[in-house]
Amino acid sequence: MHTVLTRGNATVAYSLSVLACLTFCCFVSTVFLDYRTDANINTVRVLVKNVPDYGASREKHDLGFLTFDLETNLTSVFNWNVKQLFIYLTAEYKTPSNQLNQVVLWDKIILRGENAVLDFKNVNTKYYFWDDGNGLRDNKNVSLYLSWNIIPNAGLLPSVKSTGKHVFKFPSEYSSSI
Amino acid sequence: MFDIQTHMDFVGQAKAERWSRLIITFFGVVGLIYGAIVQQFSQTVYVLGVGFLLSSLITIPPWPFYRNNPLKWQKPVNVEQKPQTAAESGDEGKTKKKK
Repeated sequence: MHTVLTRGNATVAYSLSVLACLTFCCFVSTVFLDYRTDANINTVRVLVKNVPDYGASREKHDLGFLTFDLETNLTSVFNWNVKQLFIYLTAEYKTPSNQLNQVVLWDKIILRGENAVLDFKNVNTKYYFWDDGNGLRDNKNVSLYLSWNIIPNAGLLPSVKSTGKHVFKFPSEYSSSI
Repeated sequence: MFDIQTHMDFVGQAKAERWSRLIITFFGVVGLIYGAIVQQFSQTVYVLGVGFLLSSLITIPPWPFYRNNPLKWQKPVNVEQKPQTAAESGDEGKTKKKK
């Protein structure tokens, strides 16, 4: 502490140590919170087509089309350790070839301070609902659920599943051409 | 022509270190409480930044009040006149010729 430089060094180093402690306090204050909330999901129009999957094998695979309603209030999820939410809608179903299929159909980023009360009606999916075979037609048990990744200031990156889910079925006939 | 003192004495150095620790810690704790109340961690960081600036201003420059306890140097011993006494006591060997 005998020159300006050593004092400056000590001050900067101690400030950074305190900042690290404060960040850790912020992390500890939010790490045990329960981020689950409810979400109401509903499908409006559901179709399934049998079209060549040029992105993969060029064989004819099942392609689902659906529009959905989504209503949820995510304001309670935000706190001082949440910078943004990445919310995504997943379809989960079982086929004879695969025990578990998960397809992400839609996603959205909500920054902190933006409107987190979502009420969407009749939304198209953002991504194709391809099956890797012919498992969608007449599938009686496809569940849609909403999840979100929390992007924090410091700490874990939890992936949280909403409590509400919606189960729907695909029609037993393929729709005609595209 | 300008006789600007840039040193701190030992008591002043201890004081400067203690004050910088106290100021930064205090602003950190206040910032944490304030940030938790308004639920904005950026406010915590800003309050800590204010504490850093204040501590830098108070404790980094060698202000005159850090020089209130100067060291009491012994009077220089005239070695040429009494060579035998200086050789007897080894302690005083380091105090010779300070300027």
